[in-house]
Amino acid sequence: MRIKKDMKLADVIQLNYMLIPVIHRFGINLGFGDKTVADVCKENEVDLNFFLQLVNAYHDKDYFPKEELQTIPVKNIVNYLKMTHSSYLNDKLSEIEQKIISLQSEDTEDQKYILLIRNFFEGYKSELTEHIMHEENVVFPYVLAVEEIIKNQNFTERNREIFESFSIGKYEEGHNDVEEKLMDLKTIMIKYLTPPANSTLYHTIIQDLFKLEEDLNYHSRIEDKVLTPKVILMEKSICNLI
Amino acid sequence: MARSTILIADNSCMIRKGLRSILQNLENSEVIQLIDNKEDVCEIVHKRKPDILIINPDMLPSGCLDAKKEFLNGSKLSLILLSDKKNLKNNLKADGYINYMDGQNTILDMMQEILNKGSFPDKNSETISSREKNILKHIALGLTNKEIADQLFISIHTVVTHRKNITQKLGIKSVSGLTVYAILHNLISMDEVK
Ligand SMILES: [Fe+2]
Ligand SMILES: [Fe+2]
Repeated sequence: MRIKKDMKLADVIQLNYMLIPVIHRFGINLGFGDKTVADVCKENEVDLNFFLQLVNAYHDKDYFPKEELQTIPVKNIVNYLKMTHSSYLNDKLSEIEQKIISLQSEDTEDQKYILLIRNFFEGYKSELTEHIMHEENVVFPYVLAVEEIIKNQNFTERNREIFESFSIGKYEEGHNDVEEKLMDLKTIMIKYLTPPANSTLYHTIIQDLFKLEEDLNYHSRIEDKVLTPKVILMEKSICNLI
Repeated sequence: MARSTILIADNSCMIRKGLRSILQNLENSEVIQLIDNKEDVCEIVHKRKPDILIINPDMLPSGCLDAKKEFLNGSKLSLILLSDKKNLKNNLKADGYINYMDGQNTILDMMQEILNKGSFPDKNSETISSREKNILKHIALGLTNKEIADQLFISIHTVVTHRKNITQKLGIKSVSGLTVYAILHNLISMDEVK
């Protein structure tokens, strides 16, 4: 079922609880009573159209409104991506890490294997952090500058510098798959390890990894299929400007 | 036997979703993704590496005569064409054909036949050979393909082939993942890892 603007947001969440972290990234907190999607968006100054497209894309795997999403201003897309990044860096990664550490502190002979998992996850964490930092420090400032140039139909000195120092093609080329190691970790935990004494916690970690992978997939999809093609078009129109 | 994976690519959502629900009657197989956009086909096929691709010829790259060639990159793939046109068989080579007018049983029989052909060895239950174990050990120790080739007196090409097979059999892609596997199976010890 497609999510629409006059549905109650509470009903939307009942429909799919996986949307809780998504709406949170828009700065929307739970406790919205009977307010509709449109009401809540207005109250929180969230672009209703963007919200609906994105929530529906998360909700239905077969729905990906590429064209509609590409009409959203770069600034809004970048804001959303940044919120998602910070939820990875500040919450999700450390939550999983904490759980792995708790596994380790159990007094069992599984110590050695858990240390392996922990080291592997640490490696993954720094890989993902590096990936995100590059986007935040290089890619996003670049695309925002591109949008500003188009808006003003004019270069400031600073924007020209940024524009000439990077291109979205470079991003597209180097934008690697951040899910690979995560998939390996899941495989190892499912196929090749016997669960330690605290198997409940072990299972929770695997479920967390599945959720994180799915979330990352959606995230990268926005970067690759919405942001990148949009900026390619903008770059072309700037070249015409010059 | 591992479940065979299927991708369905067609412009029409009724066809995609309808076909998926028909194929749910098949055992040992699973429709892993539906594709609605011509541009995405190649990328998704390469990424998800399905056993079977069911595709409307309209979704193939334009000017494509040998449909299978487009998607084969060393991996096995059965290709089934899906269309409302009658004379499809004469124009394009494929392992099977589904016409929009076919009944459910016709479709299921044809699919079952393809699944039975046994062209899908259980990718993941094969154990790795002792040769592959040896290569895996070297990978886990952090050696590059070139270094492994030099040490074992084999060509780089052979190393690459072994690596591919190891990854396919174990379901692990990254070097760090392979290293963990190697330690768990006592191919190397933990303190040998850099
Ligand atoms: Fe990102
Ligand atoms: Fe990314």
